Amino acid sequence: MPFYRSHVLISVDPECIARGAHEVLDALNDELMVQGLFDEVQVLETSRLGDPYRFGPDLIVYPEGVHYACICADDVPFLVREHFLKGRVVEKFRALETVTADEELGAPKAKEVRIVLRNCGKIDPHNIEEYIAEDGYQALGRVLTEMNPDMVIAEVLRSGLRGRGGAGFPAAKKWQLCRSNPGDIKYVICNADEGDPGAFMNRRVLESDPHAVVEGMIIAAYAIGSAQGYVYCRAEYPIAVQNLNLAIQQAREMGFLGQNIFGTDFSFDLEVRMGAGAFVCGEETALMSSIEGRRGEPRPRPPFPAQAGLWGKPSNINNVETYANVPQIILNGADWFASMGTERSKGTKTFAIAGDVVHTGLIEVPMGITLREIIFEVGGGIKDGKKFKAIQTGGPMGGCLTEAHLDLPIDYESLAQAGSMMGSGGMIVMDEDTCMVDIARFFMEFTQEESCGKCTPCRVGTRRILDILEKICAGKGTLADIDRLELLCAEVAKNSLCGLGQGAPNPVISTLKHFRAEYEAHVLEKRCPAKVCRPLIRYEIQAPVCTGCTVCSRNCPVNAISGERRHAHQIDPKTCIRCGICVQVCNFNAIDVLS
Amino acid sequence: MISLTINGQSIQAEPGVSVLQAARQNGIQIPTLCDHPNLTPYGGCRLCVVEVKGLRVPMASCTLPVSQGMVVETETPGLRQSRQVILSLLFSERNHFCPFCQVSGTAVTSDCELQQAAYHQDMTHWPMQPQWNNYAVDTTHPYFILDNNRCILCRRCVRACAEMSGNFTLGVEERGAASVVVADANLPLGQSSCISCGSCVQVCPTGALIERSSAYQGSQSQLTVTQSVCAGCSVGCGINVMTRDGHLVRIEGDWNAPVNHGVLCKQGRFKPAHEQRQRLTTPMIKVDGELRPVSWDEALDAAAARLKGVECAALISPRLPVETLYAFKRLFKDGLHSHNVVSLGGEDAGAEYAAHASLPLEGRLDMLSHADCVLAVGTDLTNTHEVAGFMVKRNLQRGVKLIVIAPQESDFANLAHYVLRPGAGSVADVLDALSCAARGEGSAGGEGFAEGEEAAETLTALLRSTGLEADLVQAAAQALAQAAAPVIVYESDLYASPDVAASLVRLAEQVGALDAGRKGLLSLKGSANSLAAAQLGLDGSLVTNGSKAVYLALGDDELPEYLVRRLQAAPCLVVQAAYASSLTASADVVLPSAIWAEQSGAYLNLEGRLQQANAALPVPAGVSENTAVLQSLAQRLQVALDGDWRAELAVRPSLVTLTLN
Repeated sequence: MPFYRSHVLISVDPECIARGAHEVLDALNDELMVQGLFDEVQVLETSRLGDPYRFGPDLIVYPEGVHYACICADDVPFLVREHFLKGRVVEKFRALETVTADEELGAPKAKEVRIVLRNCGKIDPHNIEEYIAEDGYQALGRVLTEMNPDMVIAEVLRSGLRGRGGAGFPAAKKWQLCRSNPGDIKYVICNADEGDPGAFMNRRVLESDPHAVVEGMIIAAYAIGSAQGYVYCRAEYPIAVQNLNLAIQQAREMGFLGQNIFGTDFSFDLEVRMGAGAFVCGEETALMSSIEGRRGEPRPRPPFPAQAGLWGKPSNINNVETYANVPQIILNGADWFASMGTERSKGTKTFAIAGDVVHTGLIEVPMGITLREIIFEVGGGIKDGKKFKAIQTGGPMGGCLTEAHLDLPIDYESLAQAGSMMGSGGMIVMDEDTCMVDIARFFMEFTQEESCGKCTPCRVGTRRILDILEKICAGKGTLADIDRLELLCAEVAKNSLCGLGQGAPNPVISTLKHFRAEYEAHVLEKRCPAKVCRPLIRYEIQAPVCTGCTVCSRNCPVNAISGERRHAHQIDPKTCIRCGICVQVCNFNAIDVLS
Repeated sequence: MISLTINGQSIQAEPGVSVLQAARQNGIQIPTLCDHPNLTPYGGCRLCVVEVKGLRVPMASCTLPVSQGMVVETETPGLRQSRQVILSLLFSERNHFCPFCQVSGTAVTSDCELQQAAYHQDMTHWPMQPQWNNYAVDTTHPYFILDNNRCILCRRCVRACAEMSGNFTLGVEERGAASVVVADANLPLGQSSCISCGSCVQVCPTGALIERSSAYQGSQSQLTVTQSVCAGCSVGCGINVMTRDGHLVRIEGDWNAPVNHGVLCKQGRFKPAHEQRQRLTTPMIKVDGELRPVSWDEALDAAAARLKGVECAALISPRLPVETLYAFKRLFKDGLHSHNVVSLGGEDAGAEYAAHASLPLEGRLDMLSHADCVLAVGTDLTNTHEVAGFMVKRNLQRGVKLIVIAPQESDFANLAHYVLRPGAGSVADVLDALSCAARGEGSAGGEGFAEGEEAAETLTALLRSTGLEADLVQAAAQALAQAAAPVIVYESDLYASPDVAASLVRLAEQVGALDAGRKGLLSLKGSANSLAAAQLGLDGSLVTNGSKAVYLALGDDELPEYLVRRLQAAPCLVVQAAYASSLTASADVVLPSAIWAEQSGAYLNLEGRLQQANAALPVPAGVSENTAVLQSLAQRLQVALDGDWRAELAVRPSLVTLTLN
């Protein structure tokens, strides 16, 4: 193997590519060749290094750890001559902040334990050898040479690994059920549909470390007795699909997939199937219908997939993250995994923190960490010094948790008991300027659009619930509407065919429970306490403060502001569209939002 | 058997049935909308939800399999409330203003299952403001209308189009609240791949799909329903003929009929209500080149006079019941000793069938529903005997392999996995090629060529003579040979050549279609009573040369043009028919007769099943029932029409086992 004195990691994140990363890469390779440095300096593609909007295309040179930003192909010859031949760091190209790792992930923060995310940003997902160098496929080797399927299931069962897609069913138990059902043909399926808005944990793993998922699936297949697997990946993740396909191809070339893996009589192959833009296809039976080429509609259970799944055969479906945990469990042992987390929820969980926190992005923390720790320690607290109001967990099927829940240790049971759920790991933090009725409306808008339409309660019920929420946010709601809302939510949750309908009313139910006063203010006082719902707010210029500078009236897109120069201006509430531009441009903070 | 409890009642049920079925079998009613006993359960409307002890949420009973020890409640206050909410959601979803809908009525007269459910579940008012996208009503189809504004998205029509006729035209476009039932890729129905079987109309619970000819002519409660048999072809589908005040309103498939289980084709369902021809209303005699209305006595006397003592040919339509065919045969063949007494299509009847195995050779129609490989020889089941075609089409997605030997393009051939289009060469060569290839596949067929036949030509020679590709023939033969339940279906006119018949049987034996008591052959036999006609000896071609008179018992049938011209050239023509035509205009004596719906009688379908058709409409004044016409004629000709037609049917050996009781 050649010995390199220097490694250049260049980001080929989609945004960087859009900014010319491939041209920079080509120029780099060309110049290194020209300078005779090709055997001394290794160029590697990797995922996001820093904020591509500020730095892209960017690259990091090791061992120095210098981060060069905004490089274009024309800069490359100079950079190569200066840095690699003369040994001088080119300050003018240097990124203002030194970033040594991935900004989407950031360096592991306090309390983080990276198992699923361990390789992300560190290895080149296009090169299987880098995965292998990080103990990749060791677990598979051990499984195939030292363990039989029952031992694998026992080990994973002992670890306490629960399905990371949201339901939290013990993974090994599912494998056991599938294994015990009669039939020669069984399928292993990975749910990579990740439809929750704001959730991108799975995406990161699929793009940056696809082999972890592949290896996990092969081990599961061995345990179950399956020879064919499918990864159902949403089409909105083209890089993930690409990297998965490449990973599968390379795994085949290495003999980790295909006939007689590791020289044993175990054979297994994988195929990627793409989704087509339907959130409901993240539901396991709808997912299977989609793979079969049918309309993505869920099926009644029983029979469960372990009994009759894809094409009627016993099938095992697990989430990306569930599979990604498996190789580590095999390598480090069930006890190691079970040493993290709580009594009933073992191991770690990735979360995508979004919303009004200082540090948004992905984190991986042991189960049992509290919401307070996540928001205020790992997340850095509420942005702009505002007050925490609520946190939504579990995506559009989850509920809102309040100040009272901040010391809740995060695990499957505690979140469910509190009226929310773990879900796939999306967390949206909301500050005092969030209207909870609007949030409920926002999530219902999503689920209503994504409803497959098979069953009446979800298809029509979510539409009717949304109608009421829109009515309330428009200031036309009545108390009777709130009563009807409660009735509809209860009935839709009870009678829907699948998890989408059963969970869709959760945001409404939990916001009604914890923030009823806000609903009542909208209905009884036609007031939005958080000053978000446009029909219920008005912008008012405070006459004593206004200097009559006319900046606001000149910027108003609908000419709603009138007034003489140097005299206090007025906003006509009938014309005003509540866009907020006047507030932004006013240099004197003279405009208040009132409700 | 599985024991479970429903509403405190102990119940036994077969494993595999749903809670809904178990409840119904024990007299417990659970309301449903999307469910239909003849379609696979869907579980979408959620009206049938029940509470199961130990389960967190209510479950749809239509899709919940019974399990040992299950405890189910179907009438809790919670469930009753849920049903009302579900119904009110449905009523708010689209245009369910009932007053001007054709299926609307009271709790007694309503034909709308949605409205009925609302009556029964006490959904007395609308708590939610209805709000819907206005869909354009699709009126482009000749026989029915699709109004999506009435649709409750139960998907019965989609399932029926897939499971009853196997046409897969209907589907759902978009998702969620934007879902809408469409034909193909959202084509107007009149331009779509719809074949007008009408299954969707029959299963639609609301007024979303309504038949044009019967709309607004009365609710089911005002109609008289007569169970009968369709006279359209030899399949013999069971039908329910719905009439009101002596007029035909609508025809539906009989769900309980053993042949078709409720599915029909456009011939039997829609065509009769769209009859354009004019009825003959009075007997007529041609005087001085003009037809004059006369009394029945005069007409019958005139007819008898023309037929007495002369060489006459007699032709009968096989759409007529066995009783009429028998009377015809007794009169003309046995009584008047005419030399040419045949039925329409009788030249195909297979009197020359040279069997190489003992008769009977053919099996039942439902073999098509259970076959794993079907070979169709020279028959286009999308244009004729459509219901037999449905039995194949609806299983194509479940892995049934279809092989078609067809000289021309057809919709049926387009569905096939293997299409063999022989260039020159006869059908016998193609069949022999398949036999040879199948032998090479090591099929467990019989001895192959029967004694007395020439030794088989080599496969190569056969391929050359037919112009077929070796790969194609091998693949088709392999599919047949490896099938556990192959069926060969073919047109009866193949009998015309003994070579073809022999090759057919040889192939059937080779691929195991005749193993272990199976009779995997099925010939279509043409019209409703073609088999009965053949059994009564009415097969053979019509020869009019040398006949002084021709008697035509046409009933409501129509003759092909070439026959019309031939008969018009006859010296004397007596026609017994229901409708006026250029043929009746040229006749010398016209005897107006009943149509299929006006007379009862027996029909023997292609699988040898004897079924009873029942008159649903009164015979119009001035018209006579078909058998009665022949009886009156026989009386005048002094021919006795006694005898047992049942016994006579069984005399001749038949291709298929006859069930005559």
